[in-house]
Amino acid sequence: MSNVFAPSVFFIVFREVLESVIIISVLLSFLKQCLGQPDQDQTIYKRLVRQVWFGTLAGVLVCLIIGGAFIGAFYGVGKDIWSQSEDLWEGIFYLIATVIITFMGLALLRINKMKEKWRLKIAHSLVDKAKHHSAKSWLGAWGKRNALFILPFITTLREGVEAVVFVGGVSLGLPAAQFPLPVVTGLLAGVLIGYLIYRGGNVLSIQIFLIASTSVLYLIAAGMFSKAVWSLQFHAFAKKVGSDVAETGSGPGSYDINQSVWHVNCCNPLIDNGWDVFYALLGWQNSATYGSVISYNVYWIGIMMAVACLLYEERTGSLPLKNRILATLAKVPGLKGWAKKKQDVSAEHAAEVVRQGQVHLAGGVFDRSDSSSLEDIRQTEK
Amino acid sequence: MARLSHTSLWMFMVFLFSSYCTAKTVTYDFNVTWVTANPDGLKERKVIGVNNQWPLPVIEVNRGDQLVVNMHNGLGDKNASIHFHGMYQNGTNEMDGPVMVTQCPVPPGATFTYNFTVNQNGTYWYHCHADYCYPDGYRQALIVHDNKSYFADQYEEEFTVTVSDWYHELIEGIAPDFLSVYNPTGAEPIPQSFLFNDTLNSNLKVKPNTTYLIRLINIGAFVAQYFYIEGHNFTIVEVDGVYTEPTEAEILYIAIAQRYAILLTTKNTTDTNYPIVTIADSVLLDKIPSDLKLNQTNWLEYNAEAPHPQADITVEVASDLNPHDDMTLIPHDHMPLLPDPDYTITLTVNMENLDNGASYALLNNISYTPAKVPTIFSVLSSGSLATNSLVYGEFTHPLVLNHNDVVEVILNNNDGGSHPFHLHGHTFQLLDRAPSYGPTFYDYKDGSPVSYDAFNHTAFPQYPMRRDTFVLPPQGYFVIRFVADNPGVWMFHCHIDWHLSQGLGLLFIESPQQMQERLTIPQNHLDVCRVGGIPTEGNAAANSVDYLDLKGQNAQVGWLPAGFTSGGIVALVFSVVSAVMGVAFLVVYGLSDLKFKGKGGGVVEGSQGEGAGKEVGSTTVREAYRDNGDEVR
Repeated sequence: MSNVFAPSVFFIVFREVLESVIIISVLLSFLKQCLGQPDQDQTIYKRLVRQVWFGTLAGVLVCLIIGGAFIGAFYGVGKDIWSQSEDLWEGIFYLIATVIITFMGLALLRINKMKEKWRLKIAHSLVDKAKHHSAKSWLGAWGKRNALFILPFITTLREGVEAVVFVGGVSLGLPAAQFPLPVVTGLLAGVLIGYLIYRGGNVLSIQIFLIASTSVLYLIAAGMFSKAVWSLQFHAFAKKVGSDVAETGSGPGSYDINQSVWHVNCCNPLIDNGWDVFYALLGWQNSATYGSVISYNVYWIGIMMAVACLLYEERTGSLPLKNRILATLAKVPGLKGWAKKKQDVSAEHAAEVVRQGQVHLAGGVFDRSDSSSLEDIRQTEK
Repeated sequence: MARLSHTSLWMFMVFLFSSYCTAKTVTYDFNVTWVTANPDGLKERKVIGVNNQWPLPVIEVNRGDQLVVNMHNGLGDKNASIHFHGMYQNGTNEMDGPVMVTQCPVPPGATFTYNFTVNQNGTYWYHCHADYCYPDGYRQALIVHDNKSYFADQYEEEFTVTVSDWYHELIEGIAPDFLSVYNPTGAEPIPQSFLFNDTLNSNLKVKPNTTYLIRLINIGAFVAQYFYIEGHNFTIVEVDGVYTEPTEAEILYIAIAQRYAILLTTKNTTDTNYPIVTIADSVLLDKIPSDLKLNQTNWLEYNAEAPHPQADITVEVASDLNPHDDMTLIPHDHMPLLPDPDYTITLTVNMENLDNGASYALLNNISYTPAKVPTIFSVLSSGSLATNSLVYGEFTHPLVLNHNDVVEVILNNNDGGSHPFHLHGHTFQLLDRAPSYGPTFYDYKDGSPVSYDAFNHTAFPQYPMRRDTFVLPPQGYFVIRFVADNPGVWMFHCHIDWHLSQGLGLLFIESPQQMQERLTIPQNHLDVCRVGGIPTEGNAAANSVDYLDLKGQNAQVGWLPAGFTSGGIVALVFSVVSAVMGVAFLVVYGLSDLKFKGKGGGVVEGSQGEGAGKEVGSTTVREAYRDNGDEVR
């Protein structure tokens, strides 16, 4: 099975698709809520919905083209370089993959929070569009008119390219045959779960599914991190040994005894059938080194600490030193903007922005060619 | 050049004037020092010289002579010794030369005297027998002339030819990379060149229609060489000091430490010179660097003016050559097959990685590790316990032989390399070997090893050939016999110096009681031990109180741990626990997301959760819709 199915690829595709679906569903919800009520004009609503779908499809299309080119270039150009010192590259790629998965993975458990975030973001961009693009500029006018095309277009494009890059990063060491299946299944699973969330299906079971898949994702990531360290160590060993290290198979001499924590002369994930599944899912090594074992444990400890911090922040509103650190960072010239932004976002503010976004949308700002100025909206609000 | 002492010079004069030599004393004073040499013209390097000369002087004696070598170690940074390879040393075990076996290593600044009677004849050599020593140049021919040999009147002149592999680095510099975790296959260092009489492209000047005796010796450390002369056959008359029935041959395979003496009759023409071809057995080499010249051409020079053609090599690899099988030779004395053995020893060669990751050589799972006391001193100081092999420690692999027993050694090879095994103090009868030399020699290399079957073997020869160094084929076996009639501690080891350093050797403790009766150690030898701080009595662990207490003996490196050690299990359990706990954290974090459901999930149904915001929003939507409606239309 693992010859044609790379679990890490599946989860990355799944996660990116899910995020895209959620964004689109948030957009559609926005529209439905503001314009799709039975007493409202269905033509405008339908046109805007169509815009959303066109944007989505266009984004997917462009991303497919980019992705194809990317992966093509990747296997065309890269393979020669990487096959030279496979272990070195494998180590580096696994390290990249671990970093990617680690940073994107936890978000999968915050689907509901993510929806909130996207509501906020979409609202923000709607407000921004209304504010900054003067009608005098042709492009600005077009952008404003087609905001509901551009938003999903950009979203799917971004998530798609992200997926391509991540999948690329994760699977640099994998043979091309392991791609298609996990990509397709990940796509389907992402759309399905996204749809279920949109329809407001059984929240608990969806969440359980997400938890399960995230756990698997992190098991894979921990294994990859361990494997990355292992590969880099093995590269150093193989370099010192010279060419014959491959000759020795999994027996004595195939590993650096000084680094060995355990070594069993069997169950080599690269040679023996069946063990490659453990290898792909859990990072199993028949020859564990201090590096690989310690890195595996350190990874999990890191994850536990990160989760603990996130939970603490959610429960108490902020991390103990967060405000002070942000205040300090705000004084650093380059980071000023970023830190300010972080400081600014507060719950009330978020609600306000969302409301404004809805106002703009409902106000038809994105629906007509001549501007209804921001001042008008503000007055209406008052 | 060796400085012959006054006595030996005088003796030499006597020898010149009287063709019948009676026993005399031949003395060599060797001041062993570092010199530089560049024998292959590729790199000047430090070599071990004698009296500031290199190549070293050939030791030449007559049968019956007393040979005295006063060796002063002037190297300054390295222990030394001399082993006179092939000398029986009957009654003079302490003059044999292997350090920590029959003597202490001779430390820098010390002088050690070898003094023994040469009661044998033929082609031998001498070399350092301390760790990582002789491949640095400390090796040369030792010729015992015999004007009563059966072929003495058949030749006019004799040549001595040494062949050798040659490294550009000091052995002690290469060795750490060899016996290392980073050399798990135990790949032997590849030599940089192959020498012929410690040089290259040389000539043996010959006259037409003349017969010569050529003594061939491989004094290298690792690589066997094929030898033939284009356009000439020759007659083998001696192997390792044992005269053979004259046997016509074309090609010889000379493994490390082996010797052949051949009679060569030159052609009647002088219009060209003939290449003497030596080809390194590249099968032994782990890899063949592109700049390594495996074939050497030297010339049988009939006419210095005539062309010196390069050898015309007709085979792709050296192993395609078909050398004369030394098993098929017949000793000239027709000594018959020894009777059934009193003691049969079955040994198996293995190469394995031990606990430090380096590759070691094992005979029956023991990698030879020298004792703390040179074993000869353990024999001499242990009294009646001397026949108990426990005294000599586990890792010197001691095998005690009874006086005058017929000993049979069956040596099976589980390793894919060939091993030229050498027995000190003896020549042994060659009873069986498989595969035999020739096209089948490497037949077992890639299959599984074939062991000797005592009930199903080829018939032993009636008059087995005897020699002191015999090649064990890759994954094959050989069977040898000898009589334990030479009291002493004799090493039996692979003569590839790398393999000896990996421990491919053992000790025969032959007739220990007779040793105690017959041997006396010269004061000089004991003094050298004192200088080096090495005890001269006690068991292998230097315990001179309780000879059966081996606590503290030198031991070989331990075995590789098999599978999961306790540390491995702890590590695995730890990893599993962290993974489980990590997943538990993720589950808790994931479930706590459900609380956002209340806030955010309401989007679809309309934002009930947002109170005031929603109301404002809804009204505006409706108003805006009204406004827009007109405009859009």
